Formats: sequence, structure tokens, C-alpha cells
Amino acid sequence: MRRGRYIKHLAAYLLAGLIMVYASYRLPRLLPGDFVTAMYASSQVTLTAEQEKEIRAYYRQSGDFATYLVNLCTLNWGYSYAFLAPISRLILEALPWSLLLMGGAHVISMLFGFIAGVEAAWRRGSYSEKAGVGCMTVLEGVPEISTGVALLLVFALYLGWFPAAGAETAYAVLSPAGKVWDMAHHLALPLATLVMAYFPGNFLLTRGSMVMVLREQFVETARAKGLPPVRVRYAHAARNALLPMVTRFGLRIAFMITGALVVETIYSYPGLGTLLFNAISMRDLPLIQGIVLFSSLIVLFVNLALDYVYGWIDPRVAYAS
Amino acid sequence: MHRRMTRELRRDPWFVVGIGLASVLLFLVLLGPPLVPYEPHDMSFHPLSPPSAEHWLGVNDGGMDILSELLYGMRNTLEFGLFTGCVSLMLGVTVGLAAAWFGGMLDQVTMRLADILLAIPAVMILIMIAALFRPSPMTLALVLAVMLWPTTAKGIRAQALVVKHRLHIHAARQMGASGTYIVVRHLLPELFPLYLIGFATKARMAIFMEASMAFLGLFDPSRKSLGIMISYALKYYYLDVWWNWLLPPVILLSLVIMTVTFLAVSLEKLFDPRLKEAL
Repeated sequence: MRRGRYIKHLAAYLLAGLIMVYASYRLPRLLPGDFVTAMYASSQVTLTAEQEKEIRAYYRQSGDFATYLVNLCTLNWGYSYAFLAPISRLILEALPWSLLLMGGAHVISMLFGFIAGVEAAWRRGSYSEKAGVGCMTVLEGVPEISTGVALLLVFALYLGWFPAAGAETAYAVLSPAGKVWDMAHHLALPLATLVMAYFPGNFLLTRGSMVMVLREQFVETARAKGLPPVRVRYAHAARNALLPMVTRFGLRIAFMITGALVVETIYSYPGLGTLLFNAISMRDLPLIQGIVLFSSLIVLFVNLALDYVYGWIDPRVAYAS
Repeated sequence: MHRRMTRELRRDPWFVVGIGLASVLLFLVLLGPPLVPYEPHDMSFHPLSPPSAEHWLGVNDGGMDILSELLYGMRNTLEFGLFTGCVSLMLGVTVGLAAAWFGGMLDQVTMRLADILLAIPAVMILIMIAALFRPSPMTLALVLAVMLWPTTAKGIRAQALVVKHRLHIHAARQMGASGTYIVVRHLLPELFPLYLIGFATKARMAIFMEASMAFLGLFDPSRKSLGIMISYALKYYYLDVWWNWLLPPVILLSLVIMTVTFLAVSLEKLFDPRLKEAL
């Protein structure tokens, strides 16, 4: 039974991945008229005759779907004439910054959101808990664009505590510790924006499921055994409240990526979002296509990995289905 | 049952605040554009002039009245969100009910399709289509709706399966009611609360996506939208125009999303007994 469920999900993800790859192969070819002309017609990039020949050669050579797949696997994703660099290099250079920003934001907001949610459920009905839930519901309604702009105006512009753009001080010669500090200094505002966007959801969800878990009899038993409250909360109850958070993460990851793209753009953080923004403003279609495909495949992979995490956190899921 | 619900809703502060905000915003959307004295595309004013009696929020870098831009932009943003919400809700309800009622192959096929769609990140498809074909906003809204129906359909299907086996449905069938009659007269109205929740969550997602995509420059740059206003104003954030040009769209967008969030939260609380106990 356990294997059946994984295979069903694996099939869905594989099919979704194939659909994405095929769409990114097929869609540009649906543009009216000559493919290369259509792709660069409305773009800011002007091609020399030689570049145009090169680009035609690349697309003719990757004409059928099979060659396209091979090119994809060998990181031969084409050349960006807007940035004058191979697309694979541009993407792989931007990727670590995006992973640092998004990964950091998710780890922080999940960890603290979870702990805060568990504590709130434990203190249910108290004045501070009610105030917390109220604040978090309001914060849940503020989109990343707004928090990002507000933090930028206050902390970068008005107070000047943090830099307004970039991920490192350019051309600075720093000691290793200074370099880390410099990176953290640049990361602080975008990270805070994303944490403020993700934290309320995690908090409210954990609190909700934890309140339900706390009514179960095994919690009563644990208490009756005389276990210390911290142990009852975390070792016995909280583990059961973990599951909805993982599900929610999987369901919302595509939605959250939109927000991360915007936040990177607001702070000109050199990740995939800013790269995509620049590619869009230059209308460099091959680069847009590359970023879109690459990030969708990452999302699919993360979702697939979550599926295994899910079964690992709650063995019931794997056995029941 | 419905009277109890309205009474409970009226006592929920989130719902009251949400409805209050919604009516103010609707008022602005419906009456604002005809009432503002300037066309949002009229570029004949002195660029970057500060707020004055003629231009309450000043004039932007292109010589356009910011207040008119703001009201038209909010109308476009809301239009996109509500349209997507409606279409994805209709798709979700149709598919979910059909899957639950007919079962069998149809159920299998639609639910597997839903799984696949759920795995594909909608925003990526949207970005690709918007960048390549530059379609009209309503076409993009349709594409988004087609990507967003699976969660609604799954929720509707699960609840419809529960209702389908209740006694009164069996009774109706015993009395000779046809399948169409039961679906239309019993299942459809009984699942009503789920529609509201589905609509609110999807509309929220779509408004957020519209603002973000406009911010990233994926819509026609001359189309007014809150997202694109923020993106233009942000280029001048170091000038002294941030409070009359950058802040209004930011605040308005937050208010719009907050309104939909509050309504969704209070509806979910009301209709999900588990959550109601928890909150």
C-alpha cells in the first residue's frame, strides 16, 4: 500500500514535469511567423547578422523534442543575447542567492511559526494569545510587495540601517568574517520581508491544529503520568500538529515563489527573481523560458521530496492510504 | 440553519471589518472612476508636481494624475481577481460535483488531472504565456482559473461524497427524484458555504498574482494596475514623492488583500466546525 501511494504521486509529478518541459519546448514555436524573428521582434536586444545565424543554428539543431531534452540535460540551454552569457551560467549564478533567501525565510518562519503556534495553543484564551492571533491575521492580509516597500522606505531610506540593494558590497576587500557580516547585512531586509509573509500562515495553522490535538486523550494521559509540560507539548502533542504545516507548504509553494520574485526585485537582490525581472524588461525570451522551466522543475522536485517527508513524519499516512 | 449562520457572522469581528472594508472598496471601484475629473491616461499635467487642490495625490513622472491612476488601477486589479475567482469556482464546482456524483472513470480521470495541475506551479505557466504572447489580461485570468480549480474541486468532491450518502438524499431517491433533480436541488445548495470559501481564497490568490505580475512587467505597461504603479513609483523612491505616489497603491493593495483574507478567515471559521472550535 505504501508503495502504491508513492508511485501514484511520483507519476503525477513526472507527468507534470514532462508537461512543463514540453510546454517550454512547444510554446515559443507557436509564435506567429518566423521563430527567431518573432522572438526578438519586440525585444530590446538587437542581433548582429552573425548572432542571428548562431541562434538559428542553435534552434535548428534542437529542432525536435528529443534533442531539446538532451540539450536540457547537458545544461545546453542556449545563449542570452541581452546579457551576453550562456543561460545556464546566468541561472546557476543567481540560484544560490535565491536558495539562501527563500530557504532561510522558510526555515526561520516555519521553526518560529511552529513554536509560537504551539505556545499560543497552550495558552489558549489568554489575553496575549488573543492579541497574537489578531495581529497575525492582519499580517496575513499584507502582501509581500507592501511589506517589502514599507521596510525599504523605513529601514533603508529613512533610517539608513540597511543597504537598499544588492547582496554584497561590490569590489570590497573583506576578511572572511567581514564578508559573512556584509552578506547578512544585505540579506536582512529581504529576509525579514519574506519571514513576515510566511510566519503568520505557519503560526495560525499550527495553533489551529495544536488546539485540536491538545483535546485528544493521549495528551491527558501524558499529563496524568506527571510529565513536565514542555515534554507533553513538544514530544507528545506537537508532532501531530506538524503535518498540516508540511501539506500547506506543498500547496502554497508556487504561490510563495511569486512573492519571492517580487521581493528580490524590490531589493535588487541578485537571485532568480531579479534575473527574471531584467529578462522581462529586456524581453529576452530564451532567458525567461530558461528561468521559468528551471524554477518549475525545482518546485516539482521539492514537492516530491515533501511527499516522502510527509510519510516520514506521520507513518499513519503511508499505511492508511 | 442559514439564519444561525448570518447571526454568527454578524458577531464575528473579522467578518464585520471585512464587509465594512469591502463596501468602502466597492464604493471606490464603482463610483471612483466616473467621479475623478481626469482620464488616467491624460499626460498633460506638470510631471512630478506635489499634491494640490486639483491633483489630490499629485502627478507622476509621466504627467498623469495619480488619484485617477489609483482608482482605475484598483478597478483593473479587482476585475482580474474577481473574474478568476468566478471562473475557477465554476470549474471547480462542476468538476467536483460530477466526480462525486458519477464516480468511476470520470472521478479517476478528473482527480488525476487535478493532481497533475496541482503539481505544476501556476505562476510559471502564466509568466511564460504572458512573456511570449502578450495576451489580454482576461485571457491570462482564464489561464490562471484553469490552473486554480483543482483545490476547489477536491474540496467540493469530498463534501459531496459525504452528503451523497446522507439519509435525505436516499429518501429523495426513494421518492423517485432524478439524478439531475438531486444534484441541482440538494447537492448544489447544500455545498453553498464551500463556494464562498473557494471563491474568496482564489480571488485573493489572483489579486496577489495580478499585482505581482504587473510589478514584474508582464502586463501591457499602459494598463493601469496597482502593481505597475508600485513598480514605477519605486524607481523614484529616493525623491520626495514616496508618500504621495508610492504609498497610496501599496496601502490600497494591502487593504484589498486584507479584506478578502478577513472574509475568507471568518467564512472558514464558520463553516469548518473543527476550525470553529479551535478559534
